Amino acid sequence: MAAEASRWSGLRNAAILLLLWEIVGRLDLVAGGALPGLTEILHRLWIDRADYPLHIWATLYASGLGFVIGNLVGIAAGVIFALFPAALRVFRGVNIAVFALPPIAIAPILVLTLSGMAPRVTLAAMGVYFVTMTATVIGITQADSRARDLIRAYGGGRWDVLRLVQLRGAVPAILAGLRVAAPNAVLGAILAEFGGGGRWGLGTYLLGSLGRGEPDRLWGIGLVATVIAGLSYAGFALLSRRMLGASRAVTLNAAVPEAAPAKLSPVPRLLLGLAAIAMPFLLWWGFIRLTGVPDLISKTPWGVIDYLFLGRSAESAQARLLAALAETLPITFVGMLAGLGFAFLLAISSRLFPRAIAAFMPVALITQTMPLVALTPLLVLILGRGTTLTLWVTISVTFFPAFVTLAQGLALVPRSAEELPRAYGASRWTEIRMVTIPASLPYLFAATRLTVPRALLGVMIAEWLATGKGLGNLLNQSRGFLDYGMIWSVAAVSVALSVLFYQIVVVIERRVLRRVGMSSAE
Amino acid sequence: MQVPDGIALDGVGKTFAGRGKVVEALRDVTLSCPSGSFTAIIGPSGCGKSTVMRIALGLESADAGQVRIAGAPPLAAARDGVTGVAFQDAALLPWRTVRRNVEVPLEVLRQPLRANAAKVQAMIELVGLKGYENALPGELSGGMRQRVAIARALVTHPKVLFMDEPFGALDQILRRQMNLELQRIWAETGSTAFLVTHGIDEAVFLADRVVVMHANPGRIVEVIDIPFARPRAPELFSDPAFHAVCDHIAKVLHGG
Ligand SMILES: Nc1ncnc2c1ncn2[C@@H]1O[C@H](COP(=O)(O)OP(=O)(O)OP(=O)(O)O)[C@@H](O)[C@H]1O
Ligand SMILES: [Mg+2]
Repeated sequence: MAAEASRWSGLRNAAILLLLWEIVGRLDLVAGGALPGLTEILHRLWIDRADYPLHIWATLYASGLGFVIGNLVGIAAGVIFALFPAALRVFRGVNIAVFALPPIAIAPILVLTLSGMAPRVTLAAMGVYFVTMTATVIGITQADSRARDLIRAYGGGRWDVLRLVQLRGAVPAILAGLRVAAPNAVLGAILAEFGGGGRWGLGTYLLGSLGRGEPDRLWGIGLVATVIAGLSYAGFALLSRRMLGASRAVTLNAAVPEAAPAKLSPVPRLLLGLAAIAMPFLLWWGFIRLTGVPDLISKTPWGVIDYLFLGRSAESAQARLLAALAETLPITFVGMLAGLGFAFLLAISSRLFPRAIAAFMPVALITQTMPLVALTPLLVLILGRGTTLTLWVTISVTFFPAFVTLAQGLALVPRSAEELPRAYGASRWTEIRMVTIPASLPYLFAATRLTVPRALLGVMIAEWLATGKGLGNLLNQSRGFLDYGMIWSVAAVSVALSVLFYQIVVVIERRVLRRVGMSSAE
Repeated sequence: MQVPDGIALDGVGKTFAGRGKVVEALRDVTLSCPSGSFTAIIGPSGCGKSTVMRIALGLESADAGQVRIAGAPPLAAARDGVTGVAFQDAALLPWRTVRRNVEVPLEVLRQPLRANAAKVQAMIELVGLKGYENALPGELSGGMRQRVAIARALVTHPKVLFMDEPFGALDQILRRQMNLELQRIWAETGSTAFLVTHGIDEAVFLADRVVVMHANPGRIVEVIDIPFARPRAPELFSDPAFHAVCDHIAKVLHGG
């Protein structure tokens, strides 16, 4: 009944929102008509209906193929990593890079080196790979340690544990992963379209319509992209609900997670660490050799170093790069902190005002499925092309995932842990202070890890498409000037920066969580 | 030929080092349980009872000493299907039905499921879960889950049966009932039983010998032989001699 009631209130809220949107849009209240009414958008969609099928098909094809490839690679890699921790160590650098890299930064590179649909498929697959690989590793390694003991107590080996406990136990994690991976694939495909190449695709369409001052068409395209991503999310959500039913772990597994095999002696450990650092560069180098694109266009790691430090124009290149960084980084941090801060406050207060937050949660979840960054052109309409735009794009792409991570993490806190202080007559605030905030710590870190790359992506896209500043703009300009060295340099530097920030967060997280005896959330 | 002891621990020591603290969980634990005997182990919480069992099962390696299960190293014994186990925590696989959970040891030991279907069904009925064969663990009460774990422990007819507080979540009446059943099954199968428990009366009722442990470091302080004839009937619970033994154990337990 409660669910029924909340569904109705959810519907009612949605109806109110739509009505407000329509009124505001019809009266041109936002930025002189930048936000048209819903019916106006639908009307325009109808007029443009002949344009859509080919664009939609191009985006669907790239994201669908990328989704399949990314998942196959992700699951296979996840199983291997879970079984052979050494492999996980060696590929750590690659995995972090894939996770942390702002897709927009490497989109131009892929367009330079690959042809046809390949850049889009690759970018879509990369967005999927990480999510699925992580879900698989987590699902497998975090399988109930008691169940693992049981199998081992009957003499079962690694394969038995994998077969009977871990693979099946990983299914919920993998399905949850697919749910997130599907919209990611759509986002990847669209971002690759921004990167250039090809006539068709929703991203191309969006970009092509940006300069024409037709808000209703832009919104229509955004709506279609959102619906596609949302449907893919909903499909997998439905699938996982079907498949999982009542098969959730019934008691909390309180066993201390096994320390990762840190029993390596220093020398192999050092070697593995070095291999982890070398691996991304090796793959980079191998990729260029494989594609066989001429040296003029594609730069190896050495080519980038040459361009930035040794070549004739090294000085000017450095200066331009540093100036761009000085514009990009501050706003990235401000946006990220603001997004995280809002999310944290809101998630914590969800314990104080559960009903208000319950009403908000569906909105937050829906935004999870939207290719938010790809909708930047819409924000351009409303906010113009200034710094405000960059800030809002960044906040919006960091706030929602952070909030969802935190809120869902807090929902995992066992009921009994929360009720304990209450049983002793604690106030809501005491309960929050004693249970909710400490329990949210791992999720706060998880949210931070999640938002670091997103913040950079948001800023770079806003810069690329609208503000004409910073790294994003430098990347876009370099495409125009055929300044290949700079394209590769910006890509390399932004990936390196993302990895660095990510690594900093991880180190702080480990320190803090170890002090309080917690382990990190996925 | 001499039959090897069901369980033989010799000078076993185990120290846990984690997060700055070092816990000497076991020091010089020596214990031999003759084949076919019933041993109960009792002691305050945290004294290392579960650790003894986990070492005997090969789930944890001892820092010192030797362990033999039916004459073989723990892991080899486990692989031969010699051991059965019911954990303190039911440890059911949440996605498997009751029947499929009971079948897990058979699957691990690569025994045919079809041929063992009757045995599985018999075990489920033995623990009183007839009608729940297709229920998922999430749909069972805590006590029912523990009974599934017991059925699972028995399904392979193990030669050496380890139980870590298997009746912890059962009510008193059901617990007595399960005690009787356990005695019957144990007598029928002739297995060597090793029971970790907090219930003195349960230990005395079931066991040939009760091993009392103390903590810090975890060690055996006394082994008490229980003289009562078998099979033991429920009336034993109200026998004065029974109470005398229980009182003695309580005294040892409290550092007497
Ligand atoms: N994996 C582990 N890491 C660190 N310490 C451990 C670990 N397992 C057990 N210990 C420690 O070893 C000691 C003995 O634990 P054990 O679980 O054997 O106790 P127990 O006698 O079974 O207690 P209970 O009756 O509460 O189940 C405890 O102090 C515990 O903290
Ligand atoms: Mg125990």
